[in-house]
Amino acid sequence: MPELQNQSEKKQQNGPSRRSTLGAIVMVLNLGVLASLAAPAVRFVLSPLSRRSKLKWVDVLGDDQLAEGETREVSYVIPIVDGYQTVERKYTVYLHRTPNGVKCFDPACTHLGCRITFQGDQQRYFCPCHGGVFDKEGKVVSGPPPTGLVQHPVKIERGRILIGRKV
Amino acid sequence: MIKEPEPHSFETEERPIVTAPGDLQPEERLAMERPGLRDWMELRLGWWGFVRKNLDEPMPPGVGWWQTLGNLLLTLLAFQFTTGVLMAMYYSPAPQTAYNSVKHLTTEVAAGAIIRGLHVWGSALIVVVMVMHTLRVFFWGSYKKPRELTWVCGVLIFQVMLGFSFTGYLLPWDQKAYWATVVGTRIAATVPFIGHELLILVRGGEEVGALTLTRFYAVHVMLLPAALMGLVGLHLYLVRRHHIAGPVMPQKGKPQPFFPNQLFKDAVVVVAGLAALFWLTLNLPPGLEAMADPAGTDFTPRPEWYFLGLYELLKIMPPGYEALATLVIPGLITVGMFALPWLDRSKSRHPAKRGWVMLVGMGVILLIGLMTLKGILETPPSSHHSAPAQEGGAPAVE
Repeated sequence: MPELQNQSEKKQQNGPSRRSTLGAIVMVLNLGVLASLAAPAVRFVLSPLSRRSKLKWVDVLGDDQLAEGETREVSYVIPIVDGYQTVERKYTVYLHRTPNGVKCFDPACTHLGCRITFQGDQQRYFCPCHGGVFDKEGKVVSGPPPTGLVQHPVKIERGRILIGRKV
Repeated sequence: MIKEPEPHSFETEERPIVTAPGDLQPEERLAMERPGLRDWMELRLGWWGFVRKNLDEPMPPGVGWWQTLGNLLLTLLAFQFTTGVLMAMYYSPAPQTAYNSVKHLTTEVAAGAIIRGLHVWGSALIVVVMVMHTLRVFFWGSYKKPRELTWVCGVLIFQVMLGFSFTGYLLPWDQKAYWATVVGTRIAATVPFIGHELLILVRGGEEVGALTLTRFYAVHVMLLPAALMGLVGLHLYLVRRHHIAGPVMPQKGKPQPFFPNQLFKDAVVVVAGLAALFWLTLNLPPGLEAMADPAGTDFTPRPEWYFLGLYELLKIMPPGYEALATLVIPGLITVGMFALPWLDRSKSRHPAKRGWVMLVGMGVILLIGLMTLKGILETPPSSHHSAPAQEGGAPAVE
């Protein structure tokens, strides 16, 4: 492009003029102004990223209330910090006892997070949205889910089943 | 005689700093068979041409530091807009949640104290700079023909800004916010005949409560910003259309382009103004009083400092004459501001040749200044920018 070449030549001949010096100073000042606002603004918007969650153990069921091979839906209510307020929130999980211990499945489909339901007669979880199917061990049987069901930590203390939930 | 500004073209040997694509004429660009991306874009957007035109805007001799305040105001408005949008991400406009959400965004969200501080102090700074800007235009007589509508537009912006501060003051829902709004909205009730209905409309009910808060929020974050954007756009368009008025008596010399000298002055003032804003934000962070308590008796309501003049005026009125302070005097001042270009019939822009207009104007300025000063001096120090949020106070839910 001949025009652009001409201009860069012109600039070199003139050297730094009052115009270009003041222009550069104004540019630097404006960038400083922009940065002074952008820095706190970005921190403010990104603030949720730095929130640390803690694992909270919740007593959900008696150890003797879940037979081997059985799957049970249990709900519990815990106080959680929701932004500027603390609220009571209800959660539901599926408990399943295997010979190796109790597993706790989150009822969110691993595809896009729809709420799955356990059908006792078929011993499978079905997702209503895109046809995802999981077996009673939480493994994908068919449909689009990329992985098996998410599990929450479980421990048994003094005859009670406790599950861990990040709050 | 007022000389109509003529369009100027500068015989510049040096071209403006914005060079590259702007040097081509549109016809040349249109004729290019395979234009580069910048030329292709420039032909469609005309951006660099627009930038150059504004950088070449003629400044009459004598224009200088006093003409930088508009640019500072525009920057402060951009700051208010940005910090306002950010705070709306964390704010919840309901009596049960408003106070805690403001407390949360101030104390727990990263940089929250800075963002809120910039917004609170920015609003005060805007009032100060806006008054200076208005006084400059008043004393320079810049509102005279053909700039009457630029002035009217500016007065409208002034009103919108006062609306912003009145509605924004309630949003934190602390004692100060609640009681200032209880008292402030009562002014509507002093209107003859329809006062009570007006009060209900302003509050969204008989009392200041949930509907007042949503009303004020909607006006503060939607109605007023939309109005302000339109008015500022029109104001800037008119400023460019009629060019800067220049000193009251034309000075010798040629007009200079806006860039580089005036733009440099603008940038210096913007940086100085923002330095003040950041200093206030970091050294005097705005606190929160206790949560609004409609049953409380231990709180003396006080308005924001720039409404103190009105507040003091109301205090000295004899019983039965409140409407004089709430409606008649502020109404006359407002109408007078709008009508100023038509009230001031003198041909000269020189202050000495504008007799009664200057006298009345300075009288009003003195009245507002003295009343505000009286209010500030009588403000108990504790209710001014109180210490960080305190616990306690019953939720203001009836």
